[in-house]
Amino acid sequence: MSARIGVYVCECGPNIPDRIDIDRVLEEISPLKDVAVAKRYRLLCSNDGKKYLADEIRSEKLTHLVVAACSPRDHEKTFMKVCLEAGLNPFLFQMVNIREQCAWIFSEKSEATRMAVKYIRAGISRVTLHEPLLQKEIKATPDVLVVGGGIAGVETALSLAGQKRRVYLVERSDALGGTAARLGRLLPHQGTDMRLIQEKIEHAENNENISVFKGCEVEDIRGFLGNFEVSLKRSGGEPPPEMFRVGAVVVATGFALWDAFDPDVTGYGKIDDVVTSLEFEAMSASGKILKKNGSPPRSVALIHCVGRKEKGYCSKVCCLYSLKFAHQLKDSQPAPDVFEFYSDLCLPEKTDQDVFEEAKKRGVRFLRADDIRVEGRNGKIRIAYRDGSAEEAVEVEMAVLAPAMVPAPDSDRLARMLNIPLDETGFFKEAHSMLDPVSAPISGIYIAGCASGPKSIPESVVQAQAASGKILSVLMLGKTLEPEVKVSTIKEELCTGCQTCLNVCFYGAISFDAFRGVSVVNEAICRGCGSCVGSCPSGAISSKQFTYQQLFKEVMEALR
Amino acid sequence: MKNESVLILGAGVAGMEASLLLAAAGRKVHLVEKEPMIGGQLIKFEEVYPHMECSTCMVAPQQQAVLQNGNIEIHYLSALEKLEGSAGAFKASVKKKARYVSLANCIGCGACYDPCPVSLENEFEEGLAAARKAIAVPCAGALPNVPAIDPRHCLFLNGKDTQCRACKDACVFDAVQFEDKDETAVLDVGAVVVATGFGLLDVKQNPQYGYGEGKNVYTALEFERLFASNGPTGGNLTLRNGQTPKTVGIVHCVGRSELGYCSGVCCMYSVKFSRFLKHKLPDVRIREFHTDLCVPGKAYQKFFEKTRSEGVEFVRAETVKIASKESRLQVLYQNGGRGEEVFEADMVILSPAMIPAAGAKELAEVLGIKLDAKGFFAGRPGSLSPVETPVEGIFVIGCAEGPKDIPESVAQAAAAVGKILSLIPHEAN
Repeated sequence: MSARIGVYVCECGPNIPDRIDIDRVLEEISPLKDVAVAKRYRLLCSNDGKKYLADEIRSEKLTHLVVAACSPRDHEKTFMKVCLEAGLNPFLFQMVNIREQCAWIFSEKSEATRMAVKYIRAGISRVTLHEPLLQKEIKATPDVLVVGGGIAGVETALSLAGQKRRVYLVERSDALGGTAARLGRLLPHQGTDMRLIQEKIEHAENNENISVFKGCEVEDIRGFLGNFEVSLKRSGGEPPPEMFRVGAVVVATGFALWDAFDPDVTGYGKIDDVVTSLEFEAMSASGKILKKNGSPPRSVALIHCVGRKEKGYCSKVCCLYSLKFAHQLKDSQPAPDVFEFYSDLCLPEKTDQDVFEEAKKRGVRFLRADDIRVEGRNGKIRIAYRDGSAEEAVEVEMAVLAPAMVPAPDSDRLARMLNIPLDETGFFKEAHSMLDPVSAPISGIYIAGCASGPKSIPESVVQAQAASGKILSVLMLGKTLEPEVKVSTIKEELCTGCQTCLNVCFYGAISFDAFRGVSVVNEAICRGCGSCVGSCPSGAISSKQFTYQQLFKEVMEALR
Repeated sequence: MKNESVLILGAGVAGMEASLLLAAAGRKVHLVEKEPMIGGQLIKFEEVYPHMECSTCMVAPQQQAVLQNGNIEIHYLSALEKLEGSAGAFKASVKKKARYVSLANCIGCGACYDPCPVSLENEFEEGLAAARKAIAVPCAGALPNVPAIDPRHCLFLNGKDTQCRACKDACVFDAVQFEDKDETAVLDVGAVVVATGFGLLDVKQNPQYGYGEGKNVYTALEFERLFASNGPTGGNLTLRNGQTPKTVGIVHCVGRSELGYCSGVCCMYSVKFSRFLKHKLPDVRIREFHTDLCVPGKAYQKFFEKTRSEGVEFVRAETVKIASKESRLQVLYQNGGRGEEVFEADMVILSPAMIPAAGAKELAEVLGIKLDAKGFFAGRPGSLSPVETPVEGIFVIGCAEGPKDIPESVAQAAAAVGKILSLIPHEAN
């Protein structure tokens, strides 16, 4: 059967006929090969217009449709829907933008008309080469793997687990709760009460829809959104290995504290009673903030920003927890002298400054300090620092370092396994740092909490709930997934196996079949961006609806 | 049976994200927006830190997706008036002001603007732009691209000229409908999400900053519009007299000490302003006046360092005062132990504190939830998640909860969706 193309020029009210001679356009288009009908209509996107178009598709027995109107951003979807309703495959349709690209930009009517003819010819030439693509459906598992049993992982598991959705919560250590569970207390606006954290852990442990694997690590993950296969191993290496299928993966592996600081500068490891913030938290949790000799410190230095310069970023929460420490110290009897050594006070949340003002009122001394050196002197700790141009020093009995937060160890191994990127700081990289902060670039993989960078506990909890929100809106119970239709395809006979495409694919949709020596596209993951098409040196890859032939024909006509 | 529909108040970046996720989950969303368009504050910015991405390019696809989503019903020019019931079964009364232009018929050709005889100040452009008409879209590129008539100023609607039909006569799509009436919609919803955003401190309240009287002191939002290529000057960074500034002072923390909190984002956007300036005027001399530099998180400090390496001066200033000296401005500031210093500038940009959006207090009363001491919506005591409020089924996201940046707002939006979808699972589940 030969093609019957219908070409419809929308007037868009006065917008197009004022600037384009539509009759002239139709005159030029009508005689073209395969054009069965070429007509004009007042407003195709109106309800009457859509009905008219559907009737035309049926009565004229059209095999392809070209609509010359506004930008496809406005109404491509509208007309694809019309095609679908009229029984025409919506991918056998081409939209030509003669409003924004002709009518609205040329001052001469003759010029706008000439360009409109070219563009419509281009549209006609490509539409006959279109394939009747079909929307595929993929069955998906609603279950979810959460890697990391800290507060973000626990919150994610609690938000997701339900009667028909199992969550596998994998924690490398022997206990859930991560860093949050090891703290001495929370901040006032976080509820101060550590029971909040403990309750969440207990709920996760006792939830029959959550399988908790403590002392376990992910051995391998393969698959894609809706269908990942996961195998676990015991951290010690002993069996039993666990295998299961999940539809999504949440990376909630937390952070570590930077520990590569110079003992000659920080005194850590060389001078007694110089501790890190987490060591102080442990003392605080045990209720005994004591020096090594067992007596309470009469003066304490809290040193912010340890490693800020070296790492090149601010860890966001150290100022606030150092303020928390100051309050905690001032709560004890007798209250010690407390000195905070800081560079900039970073108090970005609405209640943070109150905590600071309160500390000032309680007599905590705030010293803006550069080039801090912690030295031992006669059994005391001497903090030498520079204030502007002056050299100053303070003697204390205990010093608490607030080191930078850094990526959790082994992040790179997990990143490689999941085929997701880390950023230049070594934390997991977000799909979009602004608009999609809890997704990894690959569909079906999410990031929550400090795995993607320093965060407070409430922020980590928000991210956990956010990852849950994203998963619940994608992996709906009883629903299939609809992957992208206009995906890339690889002609195996042309593929030389150079694997260039693997490196350019942002979504991890391409893998290498070593046996056949060719790259393979996973259509369930491909988003049709076309990066691989451009990268392939042998021209083996093409994008459905953007084949070389289609583009060549289209451009040829446009340039005639 | 719990109602699965959700009411979202505010169509900024947070409200749009929540709407799209809920709609994707098959939920009916009622998106209530006070403006005749969606997009919130983000569409005012040319570029956003730290990657200097084009802001409108970033949000336009979100806006389009919201407009084209069959599960999202947008109520423009609307506000929540009354809320009754409880989680799973709220009844919301939404007052909708008449638009006087049919969303179905209008194609956004703009033929009605020119004939309108009324000229008004352009609020979107912070008063920097040429006048707008009584029938207008708030800004170029507004989505939906459909104007609204301002009934206070339209001569026909305010009764000053009952013969005026200028816009109606110009419209060939029969989209102008003077017969539109304000109405109240009663909506049954299972949950409510408050995403009403923020305002900026009115710098006129602090005369020390020398704002006003046609001086070249600009607020952050004014400067954003000045830089925007779709803004009042087409992106030309010019002073009010048309000249190019040679020296610029940027003042951080305007209002911080009075309000008692740091807004968390001003340091970063102030640094962004320096980038803007250096990008368009490479020889400009810039000095930023800050208290504590707040550049939290893994990505922000590098942005600051790179800007400083390009020659932008950063000085710590405890107090700042702006004075006029002939046609120029003087920034007088206390620089630590060094005492008062003076910086002469052609242009001064103020970065004012983020404050609760106008109407937050009234809305809190309607919702039956409290505001905190700073006037933002308060979270539920004892909850670790700031999106939860004391009333089950009501969530607060984005800057309505407190100052925050874009990714934090977006994460809160998704978090509220997570809570709603697990609180009110789909019936069939």
